[in-house]
Amino acid sequence: MRIILSASMACVAAVIVLASGCSTVTVPGSGPSGGPTVKANGPLTLAVVPKAVGFDFWDSVRKGAQCAASKMTDVTLQWDGVTAETDVTGQVNLLQNFLTRQVDGLVYAATDAKVLAQVTQDALSRNVPVINIDSGTNPQPDNVPVFATDNVAAARKAADLLADALGSGHHKVAFIPFQPGTVTNDQRTKGFKEELAKHPNLTLVAEQSSNSDPNTALSVTENILTANPDLDGIFAANEPGVIGATNALNQAGKAGKIKLIGWDASPDEVKGVTSGAITALVVQNPFRMGFDSVTAMVQTVRTGRLAASEDTGVTFVTQRNINEPQVQAVLQPSCASPPA
Amino acid sequence: MGSQRRGVASLDAWRDRVRSALSQLAAAGAVIVLFSYLSFASDAFISANNLINIGVQSAVVAITAIGMTLVIITAGIDLSVGSVAALAGVLGALLVVEYGVPVPLAIVGGAVTGAIAGMVNGVLVTQAGMAPFIATLGMLSVARGLVYIVTGSVAVSGAPPEFKLLGQGRLGALPIPVLALVIVALAGHFILTRAKLGRYAYAMGSNAEAARLSGIPVKRYLSIVYIISGTLAGFAGMIAASRVDSGQPNFGIGLELDVIAATVIGGASLFGGEGTVIGTLLGALLIALIRNGSVLLDINTFYQQVIIGVIIWIAVFWDQYRRRRAASP
Repeated sequence: MRIILSASMACVAAVIVLASGCSTVTVPGSGPSGGPTVKANGPLTLAVVPKAVGFDFWDSVRKGAQCAASKMTDVTLQWDGVTAETDVTGQVNLLQNFLTRQVDGLVYAATDAKVLAQVTQDALSRNVPVINIDSGTNPQPDNVPVFATDNVAAARKAADLLADALGSGHHKVAFIPFQPGTVTNDQRTKGFKEELAKHPNLTLVAEQSSNSDPNTALSVTENILTANPDLDGIFAANEPGVIGATNALNQAGKAGKIKLIGWDASPDEVKGVTSGAITALVVQNPFRMGFDSVTAMVQTVRTGRLAASEDTGVTFVTQRNINEPQVQAVLQPSCASPPA
Repeated sequence: MGSQRRGVASLDAWRDRVRSALSQLAAAGAVIVLFSYLSFASDAFISANNLINIGVQSAVVAITAIGMTLVIITAGIDLSVGSVAALAGVLGALLVVEYGVPVPLAIVGGAVTGAIAGMVNGVLVTQAGMAPFIATLGMLSVARGLVYIVTGSVAVSGAPPEFKLLGQGRLGALPIPVLALVIVALAGHFILTRAKLGRYAYAMGSNAEAARLSGIPVKRYLSIVYIISGTLAGFAGMIAASRVDSGQPNFGIGLELDVIAATVIGGASLFGGEGTVIGTLLGALLIALIRNGSVLLDINTFYQQVIIGVIIWIAVFWDQYRRRRAASP
């Protein structure tokens, strides 16, 4: 159920070269709980594992990770992921296979905070350093930094954006989460609802999950519009939800009239901002997430120094600022001009 | 003796007809109960707009389920429909976006994609002798993998406006997906009640060995059944893609469950030999009503899944209960 990109072939080759022993200086960590193994030079193989393949977001993480690897010498990436963010056991197996293949570092986004904590422990006990991207584990070991968006804070801001767009007076709003029970989803729900409570003129009249499927999001939004013909605003908390909601608003002739705050920045979502169907997008920086985490991992393996956790930040994209250079750098990241 | 056997045969046929009518009655009863309840519980339920929405929302599942009905009547199953629908959707969108193929041709391309996948399923079942469950389980994985390979796991968007016609267009007041469903349903009903293929399907599902001995080219007709299922899944995938104006690599994960549920709720038997298009339509309508009603009443998503699961249990229990009663003298 997962795709192995041709990159993995190259990596297998790299592992064989490693095993045959080039001039690699290896300093093993001291004792079982000692730090990661230090390899000051020689080829490195890092595994980078998203929550799932199939979304624009994770593809940007991949581009950032590969960009970072291309800027350093002797670094090979193995990019592989399960096909559904809910396939927790699939991801556990995948990560364990990478550990068996003795990668030098593990960069991954946890599909389940509690289940994956064990995999992180396995990696650390094998002296393989770990960095979490996007979603960490529970518990989060002190020596495993997290490179992620502060989802709670960003979702608070989404509620404020919606309140600003609607202005004063009483308004009905709907919320489209994507995968109740996942950490990212629950953080965005928490941030959005807590902040929404601070705007007493906004009433949450519907909360229906899209299951991260645009067609489900479309049907759900249509039905929300039926139940609430006087709806004023929607917050859709990830890409498939926004795609579905945008299509529903367009088809109902309510695009622009109902304020839609979205999340992420796939090409169709950006088009929605330009056309006015989407009021604002909360845009994470997946390219930077991939770029910074891989850079930090290489530094950790080369020097043995742990990296610090990092908030990779969000940008709020509206019709007004969409053409500004720093916004464009986030929307269309390239290895030539990586977003700050 | 001879006249007595004829009498038994016609009695059997009569009993079969009563059986399938009864199971449809159960599905129809559930639809009527839910429909009445929702019209009381929600002010917004009975409105032209909402009823049209329910029709459109059920179209993808219903069209796919009509193919599934044919497969299940032969005592087979097609688990690959969700992945095949996604593959058709992204390939159809790619044809339009990357190669400038006219939209109608791309829709045909999507359906042909489904037909090819169905043909492979058919070959695996009839020539390689694989159990349908295994053959189509393999296709579920293969087709989903191909989706990610051809798209690089990114949605295919940027199609010209006419791409939206199939999923969002209307002919007068009638939405195109509903029109497509009506045409597919009429064709499916004709095949099952009037055509040789339908008669053979029931015969193969009731007793494959007897069907073979009586001279039915089982392999050929079984292959055709899987090709039809694949084609309809591909066509439904194009409707789904058109609905969201893009080819989505993650579309249809778990679609097979809704489709099989619709078919079984509609009275098709997983043991083969039973199933009707009308029953399946009622099953698909019931599922769409549950999803629609759950949102109108703002019921938690998780409960929706529990409700659909319980209804599947009831449908299958009803099916077995009827069998036991029919089997006892």
